[in-house]
Amino acid sequence: MPSSTVAQTPSLSTYLKSLKHNDIETSIELFISLLKRRQIKNARPCAIATINLLLRVVGESRIRDAQQLIERIREVGRRLVAAQPREMTVGNIVRRVLEAVREVAERDQDAANGGDSGSISMPSTPISGEPQRRPDYRSRFSEFTPLQGISTQPQDMYARAQAPGERPGTSSSFMDNVAQRPPMASSVASYAGQAPSTTSLFSILQQHPPGRSPFATPPTGTQSPALKSSPTRSEESGADKFDMKAEAINSIQDIQQELDDVDNEISEFAQDHIHNNEIILTHTSSHTVQKFLMKAASKKRKFTVFHAEAYPNNHLETYATIINGGSANSQDADERWKPLTSMGITVILIPDSAVFAIMSRINKVLLAPHTVLANGSIVAAAGASTIALAAKTHRVPVVVLSGVYKLSPVYPFDTDDLVEYGDPGKVVDFQDGEFMDGVDVVNPVYDHVDAELIDLYVTNLGGCAPSYLYRIVADHYRVEDIDLSAKAEAEVEGG
Amino acid sequence: MPSQTTTPYDIVASYRRLLSEDPDLTQPVAAIESLILGLANTPATTVSETLDLVSTLTAQLKAGIPNSISLSAGTDLFQQYLITNLQRPSARGDFDQIRSHLVQNGRLFVERAKAARADIAGYGRHFIRDGNTVLTNGGSRVVGALLRNAAESGNGRGRGTIRFRVIYVGSPSGCGKSASDNETAANIAALRERDIPVAEIPPTAIAYCMDTVTSCFVGAEGVVENGGIVSRLGTYQMAVLAKAAGKPFYVVSESHKFVRLYPLGQRDLGIDQRVVEFKTGKGVVVESARGQTDGEGGDSLVVGESKVDYTPPSFINGIITEVGVLLPSAVSEELIKIWF
Repeated sequence: MPSSTVAQTPSLSTYLKSLKHNDIETSIELFISLLKRRQIKNARPCAIATINLLLRVVGESRIRDAQQLIERIREVGRRLVAAQPREMTVGNIVRRVLEAVREVAERDQDAANGGDSGSISMPSTPISGEPQRRPDYRSRFSEFTPLQGISTQPQDMYARAQAPGERPGTSSSFMDNVAQRPPMASSVASYAGQAPSTTSLFSILQQHPPGRSPFATPPTGTQSPALKSSPTRSEESGADKFDMKAEAINSIQDIQQELDDVDNEISEFAQDHIHNNEIILTHTSSHTVQKFLMKAASKKRKFTVFHAEAYPNNHLETYATIINGGSANSQDADERWKPLTSMGITVILIPDSAVFAIMSRINKVLLAPHTVLANGSIVAAAGASTIALAAKTHRVPVVVLSGVYKLSPVYPFDTDDLVEYGDPGKVVDFQDGEFMDGVDVVNPVYDHVDAELIDLYVTNLGGCAPSYLYRIVADHYRVEDIDLSAKAEAEVEGG
Repeated sequence: MPSQTTTPYDIVASYRRLLSEDPDLTQPVAAIESLILGLANTPATTVSETLDLVSTLTAQLKAGIPNSISLSAGTDLFQQYLITNLQRPSARGDFDQIRSHLVQNGRLFVERAKAARADIAGYGRHFIRDGNTVLTNGGSRVVGALLRNAAESGNGRGRGTIRFRVIYVGSPSGCGKSASDNETAANIAALRERDIPVAEIPPTAIAYCMDTVTSCFVGAEGVVENGGIVSRLGTYQMAVLAKAAGKPFYVVSESHKFVRLYPLGQRDLGIDQRVVEFKTGKGVVVESARGQTDGEGGDSLVVGESKVDYTPPSFINGIITEVGVLLPSAVSEELIKIWF
């Protein structure tokens, strides 16, 4: 436990400060205990804490080998995810970091393979004639099937050819990003001499068993043979290995930057969605939604906001947000912002029970989720499901604002498991003994909203339909990282 | 019809033989096997010759089998594989090598296809939770494997830790014991033996029992480009009822069954099956079959157990393949990857 800040309630800011002087193991343990005690909760704080922790883990590790670094991150990730499985953002960030590290390693690998860089553009691809035109449509077939949490889409090996660094800068539309990605054939170059075939449907006919061969999971697969012969690499790459770590740290810092910019990038799209004289419905004190609306207001749009109070778990914060803007005791100074009302916007606070009655007059619903699942559904604060169902009945568009970091590659087999239950004392006071004795009181903190009820996702990459989320998942995560368990890693390595 | 003069290899007979010999073989894989045998039997030394041969054999096969949707997944896959691997300028693996690889490894492909089934069962098992009631129509080996896997999961004694129940929808035609009926009976017996309660209901009782069902699993003969499926007659019915009752409807299928077909409706499948046959006192009212060259029954008419229907993607919650759980919207991307 950090002794220097004993007097303060543990929270994200105290944790970040303590990260600077504690050693790694202590920091990890501290984070785990904060997660378990729910002293760090909600998506953004968890994400920030996780990325900072992992940055330190990578920075301090004396590991020279990419594979070992990946294993170390996985091991840390396992513990973090186990501490609070419902905070899926923690797992998302771990997987993003893993993806960044793998990509850096591949790039290094590719550079080490030297001469093939000339033929990168090509011919080992089965796509005759026009390989370069095809940025994304190459997928690696992975026989390795993680058993818990399953990707809804085979991984796109080249999707992340550009480092995450590309992303924060470009708040341009999603399609732009798709077009910009070059067909980085880094892994393919390493296949020199082996039969090509990376498309999933061809796997049955491949010349190499699609099982535990280099094909199955190209990033690790191509790394392992080369890394096992690392003596040859190490001759030239004493500096290179250090570079790899530095590059990995750069990539992770890019993700960090993305986390910081997420709200701003989402609010860039505010003008497209909020128009004059519209009536918007939202609930909870979500910062993302507030900033989105603030941006529209700052562009001189005049609209009305109906704000459902999200009783009993979030209503006090909601009141504070409506009256004061960014809360005064939030983590950093630039989290504060003026309330919407000061920009001339009419904000009407309504109880949650009034949502259905009001819905016929609403133009648009804005929701901010806790987690976005790969099949297009979301886990959001309690009350979201009611709002979404009411919106469906009245044909009101439901727009979900969410950074990509909230998007989890885990397939929700059982949506009931994802809902966390909170303090029933907020619903019925514990002092009401007789009532409490006779009745089971539950207070679900979250709600699962099905993909069919959602019309549009606005992410920091732009807008997309729920049915398209699988592509974003495929672009940001690797299939082999979805299952973080040790057994899974062993299977992959076992060859 | 197979011309006996120039190509003595009878692909239709070979295909049927493969299917009857190995009950675990799926139609697309049998099609690939029979094409490979055709390649082996007919020496071809140039790329063009080979591709030409394959397309001729494919045409013969499709003409000879009434319901060619499923097998066309296999033939298309094979053709595309050959085209992409043989026609590249700097062909890695030259022609002879590829050809010999294909010819020698017929069994390997079959084994891989069967292994896919085990992978799918491993995935799909997670969809079945304690206390669930699963509805399925029979005749699908993959679904049977999935349910058996769920029944056995958790401990090695063969008695699983997931307590679930299964409702099997019986075959509609009731026209005696066919291969799929036997398959279903074997699955049911296996489940019952593992202490899983199994009920058999007629298709007319699907709506009746739908409120007690947790989720539905069906197999498919083919997964079409928009994410819908072509499956035995009665599947669409189940999907509609499941959707109306708000129950998830999952399709379980190997990825080699993805076929490049985009049907706009039930009658747009490109096959001739007289599901609805009007009769008057004077006999059968014969509609002029648009697009079908055969006027009478016989070769191109799908009969009995093989009748199929098309389930649009809006009714499907997920497609469980050996690659993972795909959303219907993801299927077209998989197909584009091999077809460009």
